[in-house]
Amino acid sequence: MLEGTLVNLRAQEMDDLERNMRWLNDRAVTRTLAMRYQVSLLAEEGWMRQRTARPLNWENAVFAIETKDGEHIGNAGLHGKAVEDRVAELGIMIGERPYWNRGYGTDAVRTLVRFGFEEMNLNRIYLHAYDFNAGGLAAYRKCGFVEEGRMREAHWSEGAYHDIVIMSVLRDEYTPSPRNP
Amino acid sequence: MLQGRLVILRPLSLDDVDREHRWINDHEVTQHLNMRYAVSRAAEEAWLRDVASKVASWGHVWFAIEIAATGQHIGNINFHEVVAEDRKARLGMMIGEKSHWSRGFGTDALMTFLRFGFEEMNLHRIDLLVDANNPRAIACYRKCGMVEEARLRQNRYARGRYVDQLVMGVLRDEWRAVYAKYGGASDA
Repeated sequence: MLEGTLVNLRAQEMDDLERNMRWLNDRAVTRTLAMRYQVSLLAEEGWMRQRTARPLNWENAVFAIETKDGEHIGNAGLHGKAVEDRVAELGIMIGERPYWNRGYGTDAVRTLVRFGFEEMNLNRIYLHAYDFNAGGLAAYRKCGFVEEGRMREAHWSEGAYHDIVIMSVLRDEYTPSPRNP
Repeated sequence: MLQGRLVILRPLSLDDVDREHRWINDHEVTQHLNMRYAVSRAAEEAWLRDVASKVASWGHVWFAIEIAATGQHIGNINFHEVVAEDRKARLGMMIGEKSHWSRGFGTDALMTFLRFGFEEMNLHRIDLLVDANNPRAIACYRKCGMVEEARLRQNRYARGRYVDQLVMGVLRDEWRAVYAKYGGASDA
């Protein structure tokens, strides 16, 4: 388990299925994700069975985010790309809306970034965010992510093209967040 | 087959294997490609067999670049990461014959390929990644209307150090203006 200040990150379990289903079919949640279509229970169950049957690894280090009280509120993960480049992409979803804008996502990202640099030995962690996701962009900035540019009109949703913002944090720039004892 | 001003784009063929194998093992050719390890003849042949035997479609677009005047095969160009809903694609290009670098063939191949992407595949946006320390390629992409959109810091490791990469992208309307000025051929 990875310990942050407000959250812990643990491996996903099949028991998380019902919550994941609810979140993945909540458009308010998925509009900032690379998700477009509704997800059936069978599809999500199959996907989770596949994921949870294997240990987390370089390509798929995806965690469940829990509050310190043990409430599962979202998921976050790193997806390693070419090993030689030591690059990974970060993705996060806070599915429980009451926990939005309260620092939980920021803490989860910080915890994940620390894991990426200190345990996976990454050199660069990047993410893609849609230009309308102001909350996400602000949170990522707080975690040390720098905006590198925008892929113009690279994402279509809600009847219009939107820019995709690319952000990254490099190992050199990274300052470890305070650790829980 | 697609007609450019200087080149044509045709499907890859198993007969291309000798050239492809030579290029892919030429460090000068591959230094800015996402290629690190030596490629055996058998592996190259297996790859080519796979690519050349698949029916070209939305998700599988590969062309050989040939000089129109002589029929000489000098490189390849392809789309990967094509996304239907966003109508976008990322492209890759290689001019393997070094003697044909900096002579306008790459530019013409890219112009012709973009025309295919926008006018036949109905794409909205096309982009690519290029090493920031590859000015020759960047100049070629700029000529084709591609704009520097992002600088991915330390995105690639090669020759003992991390190198930045640029995302360069072009939208269909922008490309149409550039292509009109270029006076390229049309398939119509």
